[in-house]
Amino acid sequence: MKECRVLSAECGVVQAEGIVKVYRRGSEEIHALKGVDVAIAPGEFVCLLGHSGAGKTTMLNLLGLMDRVTEGELEIVGRRISGRGMKRLPEDKLDEIRRENIGFIFQQFYLMSTLTAVENVEMPLLWSETSKPGRAKELLERVGLSHRMNHKPSELSGGEQQRVAVARALINEPKLLLADEPTGNLDTKTRDSVFELFRQLNQEGLAILVATHDAELAERVDRVIRIEDGRIVG
Amino acid sequence: MIWLTLALKNIIRRPTRSALTVSGVAVAIAILFSLMAFQRGYESGLREDLNALGAHIMIVPKGCPYEASTIVLHGGKWPRYMEERYLQEVKDVPGIEQSAGIIMDAIVARTKTERNRIFLGVDEDFLKLRRNWRFEDGGWFERPDSIIIGSSVAESEELKVGDKYHVHEKRGNFTVDASFIVSGILEPTNTQDDGFYFMPTKTLQKEFNLQDKLVVILVKVKDVTKVDEVTSALREREASMNVFPLTELLNTMGRMIGNTKVFVMAIVLVAIAIGAVGVLNTILMTVFERTKEIGMMKAVGASRLDIFRLIWLETLVMCTVGGLLGVGLSVLTSRGVEAFIKGVLSGTGLISVPKGTLIAFSADVFIVSMALSIVLGLAAGAYPAWRASSIKPIEAIRAE
Repeated sequence: MKECRVLSAECGVVQAEGIVKVYRRGSEEIHALKGVDVAIAPGEFVCLLGHSGAGKTTMLNLLGLMDRVTEGELEIVGRRISGRGMKRLPEDKLDEIRRENIGFIFQQFYLMSTLTAVENVEMPLLWSETSKPGRAKELLERVGLSHRMNHKPSELSGGEQQRVAVARALINEPKLLLADEPTGNLDTKTRDSVFELFRQLNQEGLAILVATHDAELAERVDRVIRIEDGRIVG
Repeated sequence: MIWLTLALKNIIRRPTRSALTVSGVAVAIAILFSLMAFQRGYESGLREDLNALGAHIMIVPKGCPYEASTIVLHGGKWPRYMEERYLQEVKDVPGIEQSAGIIMDAIVARTKTERNRIFLGVDEDFLKLRRNWRFEDGGWFERPDSIIIGSSVAESEELKVGDKYHVHEKRGNFTVDASFIVSGILEPTNTQDDGFYFMPTKTLQKEFNLQDKLVVILVKVKDVTKVDEVTSALREREASMNVFPLTELLNTMGRMIGNTKVFVMAIVLVAIAIGAVGVLNTILMTVFERTKEIGMMKAVGASRLDIFRLIWLETLVMCTVGGLLGVGLSVLTSRGVEAFIKGVLSGTGLISVPKGTLIAFSADVFIVSMALSIVLGLAAGAYPAWRASSIKPIEAIRAE
């Protein structure tokens, strides 16, 4: 792992050191992450491999700024998120960093059933209060859905839905794409084509972190981070 | 895509539920609009009635002046009379332009199909007060047994100028038994005059056995700003009479209505509160159902405020649509509601019920109703919107 004591933008899109995450469930304390170091360089394609319950999703949520670390140094796209002697960043700040820099893809796609493909892709623009005319259509063409723009999710196949979700994740031109089991709900053939799309996006300079338990997928990326029981094992 | 599109699509996703919620709001707003419009219509109707009366001051024998005013405005059996000579005393008071004495009697309906018949004995002085009178056919009394009838009387009794009209009623040891000839039919005035029978004062006094009696004297002053002075001068003349300016009558009736308004508003507020709880319940339910979706929205960049705004906007849209439908509903049902309220009010016998349209669409009542729908939406949507904004994306997405 690249040495990076002084956190800076050059060091990467993700710079995490000694990340600890403890959940409370009633009186019980769950140590989901027990001191994890992760660094992802711009344009890197990384796979976070582990069994379910190993801490993959927790890791993605922390890196995606949807949750706060209990302890440790975290920097995302050169912005310091948490660390020693640092005040809690306000939630709207986290929202803003996420909106501008991070794209999310889920196993269940989570498209809005009432919106068409193109409207789903445009939706994040509502939150960023920007308008990018034509951008949503460009992205749908980019993911190979130019003929499906005005279809509702229910009229699309699983693979097509995930492509819409990818286009949605890209609308704000993120530097980092986080994907949680993105191919978990897809058959092998579709899985391969979605993965191929990831590969192309990566070659255009997008850093991608895919969390999966599928060891076969892990063979097709630049680097694999194995996680087991809240610790990085190689 | 804009916010409103997203909100509308979310609402349309659950058509039945949204429709029910919207109709709850619509009913509450319809009640509100109807009552406010009625209030407005009642006041202006009363004012029109008083204007049509053409007088500024009314003099009646002592008794409850409001009961008296009702009878004078709309007819009825009046148990107290004044002597006719008092009219001359009134005419002597300075500052009076015109005064007219009226004698009145009625034949009360005995069966449901029959109508109350109200007879007014009047003279030329009275005609001078009634500026709104136009004859559709015929004209003023030609003979002692002439009668003039209002437009609704002419219609319901199918009377024409020159027709004979007979009145017969046994009253203890006296029997009213007289024949008249229609000398004139009035054009519709949209006042109670439309339902009255008019005859010369002397004729009524004779035929109804009310010699030298009057029930009311109407007074028109020369200078409207001096109504109070003329009123006090009249009060000094004869203590056994009730002299009151009609503006005061209007104010008093307005106060009576104002008192009922408080009660009515309480009912309306309850209706609105129920509507609001319904909306709150529905929106809260959809928020719970949409936990995952809201989590996803946050993951793709929505802030707490964005989620709050979206849910609030959805509530607001439903309430605004409900408000518009409510006003529409109220306008559509206004004739029926009006007839009902009129029936109830005239049933009390105490409050005078103006003729004419009481519930009418008016811009300010519309604005108040819509403002209330919006306030209702903002209030009912705030808690569900806050709940939605507090959803933690990870928990939402993890909850399988």
